[in-house]
Amino acid sequence: MVAAQQGNAGAYRRLLDELRKWLCRFYARRLPPAMVEDAVQDALIAIHDKRHTYDPERPFKPWLVAVARYKWIDRLRSMGRATTEELPDDIAVEDHESSVTSSVVLAQLMTELKPAQAEAIRLVKIEGFSVEEASARTGQSGSLIKVNIHRGLARLAAIVQKQPDAE
Amino acid sequence: MPSDFLIDQLVGDLRPVRRSNPRRQLAILLGLAAIELAGFLALGTLRPDAAAALGRAAFWWKMGGLALLAAFGVHIALGSFNPVSSPRSGLRRWLAVVAGLFLAGWVIDAAGQGVDALATRLMWRMGVECLTVMSILSIPPVIALGVMMRRGAPTDRQASSVAVGVAAATWGALIFAFHCPSDDPF
Repeated sequence: MVAAQQGNAGAYRRLLDELRKWLCRFYARRLPPAMVEDAVQDALIAIHDKRHTYDPERPFKPWLVAVARYKWIDRLRSMGRATTEELPDDIAVEDHESSVTSSVVLAQLMTELKPAQAEAIRLVKIEGFSVEEASARTGQSGSLIKVNIHRGLARLAAIVQKQPDAE
Repeated sequence: MPSDFLIDQLVGDLRPVRRSNPRRQLAILLGLAAIELAGFLALGTLRPDAAAALGRAAFWWKMGGLALLAAFGVHIALGSFNPVSSPRSGLRRWLAVVAGLFLAGWVIDAAGQGVDALATRLMWRMGVECLTVMSILSIPPVIALGVMMRRGAPTDRQASSVAVGVAAATWGALIFAFHCPSDDPF
């Protein structure tokens, strides 16, 4: 990163290639699979834009984790703002559920939510059901599903914000 | 892989950067404070009893306390523009300093003039005027710190914004204190 700050393109490319792999692992444990690539790209752009804030006298890893974690929180918040489109049955992927549950950190965080909030987020934001379908499955009204998603994602972002930085 | 294209673009966009330097930022802010204070006093706003006030403990409590709060607030705000730092613990300490300063101020004030005299000075109209001027004086620092925050990488934007707010507010109050003849916590 020090070489990149000085304009060394070769070093910067090697750094970004390494960071991409690291970020993929980081987000794969924290986000649904469909969001990982976007989150990685967001983080790479943030690292590029804010590279001048890295102080070479301090270790690089905490700086990287802080930026990656910030983009993770951003993603969680944006899940609440994004409209959910109903997915057709024929695009189902066989190992989708196992991929979702591989987001171990996200799964652990969801246990800290109220069950109704976690269920609403899981069905609508992760598994792609419409609000109406989630309502039918859970017995919650459509409005309550939306409220639970909104409040649950806000709570998730707050929990992550309070946690110490860790890979 | 889509990231390959992005990485190509980022590498192509690479330019040498000047690293964030808190000392340079601090020097800019000190210069701005000096210019603002000089401009404010050039309007003939220095308190008329300035010479007499120098001998009063309450005067030094007010100036010293506000300077401490402004400096501490700026320190917390600048620190929070680094992604690895959160200003929340700093803001809690800042609030503790505020509480301590108020307590000390009331003790100094009550000891010097008595509680009754203190109550008669609670003139809300003057207070509103003072707040208005202090708010205006807070605008330059809030802009300067806002620009620095935008150039930095705060990862707790809400708390960083609060830190910028408290730093700019106490900065404005400190400049105004050179004009204000009331040396009490109100």
